[in-house]
Amino acid sequence: MLVVRPARPADLPALERLASGATPRLTNLPAHRDRLEERITRSQRAFSREVEFPGDEHYTFVLEDRERDEVVGTATIRAQAGAREAYYTYRQETLIHASQQLNVRREVQTLSLSHEVSEATLLCALSLNARYKGTSAESLLRRSRLMFIAQYPERFSEILAVAFPGYLDSEGESPFWNSVGRHFFARGYQEMNHIAGVRSKSFIAEVMPQFPLYLPLLTPQARAAIGREHPAHERALEEMLAEGFTRSRHVDIFDAGPVVKVERERLETFRHAAWHPVRIRPAQSLPDAEPAMVANQKLGDFRCVVARYALSPTGQLMLSPEHAEILGVEEGRAVLAAPLALPAAEDALDEGEL
Amino acid sequence: MRIRPIARGDLDGLQALAQQTGVGFTSLPDNRDFLAGKIESAARAFEERTPLDDRLYFFVLEDEENGELAGCCAIVGQVGRDVPFYNYRLGTLAHSSVQLDLHRTIDTLFLSSDHTGNAEVCSLYLRPEYRKSRNGALLSKARWLFMAQFRDRFPDKVLAEMRGVFDENGVSPFWECLGSHFFPMDFNEADRLTGLGQKSFIGELMPKFPIYTTFLTEEARACIGQVHEQTRPALEMLKKEGLRWEGYVDIFDGGPTVEAYIDDVRAVRNSRLCKVEVTTGAEQAERPSWLVATTDMLGFRAIWLGRGPDENDVITLTEEEARRLEVAAGDSLRILET
Repeated sequence: MLVVRPARPADLPALERLASGATPRLTNLPAHRDRLEERITRSQRAFSREVEFPGDEHYTFVLEDRERDEVVGTATIRAQAGAREAYYTYRQETLIHASQQLNVRREVQTLSLSHEVSEATLLCALSLNARYKGTSAESLLRRSRLMFIAQYPERFSEILAVAFPGYLDSEGESPFWNSVGRHFFARGYQEMNHIAGVRSKSFIAEVMPQFPLYLPLLTPQARAAIGREHPAHERALEEMLAEGFTRSRHVDIFDAGPVVKVERERLETFRHAAWHPVRIRPAQSLPDAEPAMVANQKLGDFRCVVARYALSPTGQLMLSPEHAEILGVEEGRAVLAAPLALPAAEDALDEGEL
Repeated sequence: MRIRPIARGDLDGLQALAQQTGVGFTSLPDNRDFLAGKIESAARAFEERTPLDDRLYFFVLEDEENGELAGCCAIVGQVGRDVPFYNYRLGTLAHSSVQLDLHRTIDTLFLSSDHTGNAEVCSLYLRPEYRKSRNGALLSKARWLFMAQFRDRFPDKVLAEMRGVFDENGVSPFWECLGSHFFPMDFNEADRLTGLGQKSFIGELMPKFPIYTTFLTEEARACIGQVHEQTRPALEMLKKEGLRWEGYVDIFDGGPTVEAYIDDVRAVRNSRLCKVEVTTGAEQAERPSWLVATTDMLGFRAIWLGRGPDENDVITLTEEEARRLEVAAGDSLRILET
C-alpha cells in the first residue's frame, strides 16, 4: 500500500538516499544532510502556517510504502519559483535581422536571461526509488501534488511550472553547460549543480552572462540540447504534457532542460477532480473500476493514495477499510478523487507558450 | 615622386590601382562608376564646394618620369556622418562571486559608433614595384602635413582602420566565425558593398547585443586586433606617429582601428613652416629625411628632400624641385624632418 504524505523529520535518512539516488542529480534536491533537514523543517512550517497567497513556502512530500515501512520517493512544491530571489531561466527568442537593401531577412535565435517564471508555482525535486519507476506509484508521487494544489488553490499561483533535468551525454556531461556556463565558471556541470543546490541557483545566475546569447555561436551539441530533457525523464515529461502542461520558451540556465507551464485550470487532474462522500466496503466486495488518485482534506495530514474509482449509484466513493484508514477518513467524509489515467500524450494539444 | 590631389583625369590610373589592391581593401573597389564618383567628390573636396563633414581628400603618388600613378592615400574629414560608421569595441566584463571564489573576466565585443565625427586616414596603397625609396612613408606622412596645414578643417581625433588577418586562401577566420552567421553573403561581397558605401545593411544585419568572445573559435579570437602580414609596416608607421590601438576592431575581419588626437600626432606637432629660396644647384643627402609640402589646398604637393632649412628657417630648393612643387622663391613650405 503506497501513500503520499508530508515529509517528517524522521524521513531525513530516506531523503538523503533519494537525493543521492536521483538520476541525474537534481539541483533542487542536493545530497546534503543539513540542507535536507532544513527542507523538512521548512516544509513543516509551510503545512502548519495559514497562507492566503503564495510566498516562499516549500511543501515537501514523501511516498511511503506501508508494507515495507519505507520511504521510497519524494517531491516538492515551491509555492513561488522565485519568492525571495529571482528564478532564472533562459528564454528562447527570435530576432529578425532584415535588410531591404539586400532583400534578405534572417531569423537569429537568442537565449535571454528571464525572470518570467519566478511567479509560477514550481513542481520540483522529485526522486523515486528505481524499483517503483514506471508504476502507478510514480504517477501518484508526481501528480498527488496537483491534488494538493487543487485543494488549497490560495496557496499557489495560477500558473504551474516544471523544469525537467536537461540532456546529459553518456559521460554525464552537459553539452549546453560545456558550451555556455563553463566559460564563465570554469567548473564542471555536476560540481556547479551541486553548489547551486546547496547554496542557491540565483546567486550563481547573477554571475551568468547578462546579455543574450546568439545561438549560432554555440556548439551544435549545445544547440541540440536546448529544450531537450534528460533521457531518464522522457516519460515524466510525456506524462506532464498529457496532464496539460505545455512546452514553453524557457529552458534551464545550466543544462537547457525544458520548462513546461500550464494555467492550472487546464490540467486534466483539475478538470476531472471531484469531491465524493466516502462509503467503506470490504476490499473483496469493491467493484472493478479504473484507478484514481484519492486525497483527504487534511492540510497538515494530507494523504493521497491510488484506489479504484468505484462510485455507488448515489455518487459515494467506495473505499476499502485499509484505504480509509490510511487517508484518515470515516464513512461520510468527503475525499477528492481524480482519474489516474490521462489521454495519450499525442492527443494532448500543445498550443505553445501561455 | 610626388604627392598631389587626385584630378579628374586620373580615372584610368586609379582603376589600375584598384585592380591590384585585392581582398580586404574596402575603400578602393574595382568599380569604374564608383571610382569616378570618388574622384569627383575628392576633386570637389579640394575645391571647397562640399560641406566640411563629408569631405574626402584623396591623394595620389605620381611617378613624374612616366606620369603613372604609383599609389594613393586619403583622408576622410569626418566618418559616420552620412552613413553609419561601425566597429566593435573590445570590452571586459568581470564575472565574480566571493561565495563561489570566482573571479573571471570575459572579453566582449560591443557594436559601437564611437568614432562618428572623427577624421580617418585611409586608402593607402602603393604598387609593389614602388615599394622602395621611402615612397610608402611619403604616402602615409604627407597626410599629416596636409592636416597640420589645414588644421581647422579637421576634428579633434583621427583614426585608421587596419586590414585584419586572412589565411593563405584569403579567408578571414574572424568573419567565418562571426559575420558569416549574420550576413548571408561571403566576406568579399560584404566587403565590396561596404567599399561602395552601401553600409546600411551592416546595421540591419549585425548582432545588436554584445558578443562574448569566449563563444568564438580560437582562430577567430586570435584575429581580434591583429593585422594582415602585409599591413604590419603601415601599422608600425602610424604607431610611430602616436596612433594607438584602444580596443576597437573592424566588424568584418577583426583588424584593429588605431587612433589619436590630431594635435598629438608627432608629424602634426613637429611640422613647421619655412620660406623658399631657389638656386641653380644645391647639395642633398642621399637618404632624404625632409618631407616638404606646399601650403595651398588645390595645389597641394609633397616630396622628399635631402636637405633641411637653415637657421633662419629658409629652405633652399633647386629649380627642378621648385618646379615639381610648383612654388617660387618667397613661398611658404610646410616641412617635417623624419
